[in-house]
Amino acid sequence: MSKIKVKGKHVVLSLVCLVLGFMIAFSYHLTQIENKEKNPNVSGKQWEKTLALRNQLIAEEKSNRELQKELNQKQDMVLKNEKELSKEAQIFLNLAEDAEKYRMFLGKVKVQGKGVKVTLTDGAYDPKEDNINNYLVHEHHVFKVVNELYISGAAAVAINGQRLTSHSYIICNGPVITVDGIEHPAPFTITAIGDPDVLSSSINLIGGVKDQLVNDNIVFTLEKDDKIVLNPILGS
Amino acid sequence: MWLPFIGLIIGIILGLLTEIRIPEEYSNYLSIAVLAAFDTLFGGIRAYLQNIYDEKVFVSGFFFNIMLAASLAFLGVHLGVDLYLAAVFAFGVRLFQNIAVIRRIILTKWSTNKEKVEKN
Repeated sequence: MSKIKVKGKHVVLSLVCLVLGFMIAFSYHLTQIENKEKNPNVSGKQWEKTLALRNQLIAEEKSNRELQKELNQKQDMVLKNEKELSKEAQIFLNLAEDAEKYRMFLGKVKVQGKGVKVTLTDGAYDPKEDNINNYLVHEHHVFKVVNELYISGAAAVAINGQRLTSHSYIICNGPVITVDGIEHPAPFTITAIGDPDVLSSSINLIGGVKDQLVNDNIVFTLEKDDKIVLNPILGS
Repeated sequence: MWLPFIGLIIGIILGLLTEIRIPEEYSNYLSIAVLAAFDTLFGGIRAYLQNIYDEKVFVSGFFFNIMLAASLAFLGVHLGVDLYLAAVFAFGVRLFQNIAVIRRIILTKWSTNKEKVEKN
């Protein structure tokens, strides 16, 4: 009887102890958590760690700022370089345009523009004239026209579609004339690119080329053309 | 005999392992309850040493004091009066008194034991 009583007493006591232990532990646990949340860097070690991390962060920010400055400088340099490059590109563009122009002058490429077209045809057969040479087109007639055209500012001249260059030659070769080794029969069509008004008026001068040619019994026609196309020089 | 200690250890383990989060304003009540529990516990020990221990009084006092302290703190919060201070004060004073009485009783017992040993 007394044994059972003692046991019951102990059970009640242990229940009380259980509740007490639970409450103490729970309270302690809770307080720990609250302290951690309130000031997470209370302990010296943690504080030192935080300080070290903070210092590291500051150092990183410093280096970041320096790097940012460096980046800005580099970007300025890039900008400068780009400006220079654009200038160079401009220069190259100009050079390219010049090269294109010179190529046109040299006859390396096809050119087209306003100009005039002069046709020289042999005169009609005249029984009165003994000498047949008196009504044929000779190379000096062609020379005259070509020289006159060049003098009055033609940019490009061609005979029967063949471009003339600075070192072209024209020779009389019996019934034909030879331009740079290629024979051309009459009639000769001389095309020139340039200001049509200037060219035609210079050809039409009184006592000028036209009159001289007409005196030599040559049929002379001159027409202005808005679009003259000259092919590049063969073999250039 | 070891049953109360096992209960205490189980209670502590349960308390440490519990991940229940209660709001911060309720943690005050818990502290008061813990204080009340301590007070009752020491009161019980003193009564046991003075041979006036009654289990019914002890157990009922234990739980009743806890609840009373918590409800007093709760009432204080809602009335705008820091009533939990009264609880802290009362329990604190009683705790110290109880501990002092326990110390005196133990000292007396120890010295009488010593005298007995010397006499023998």
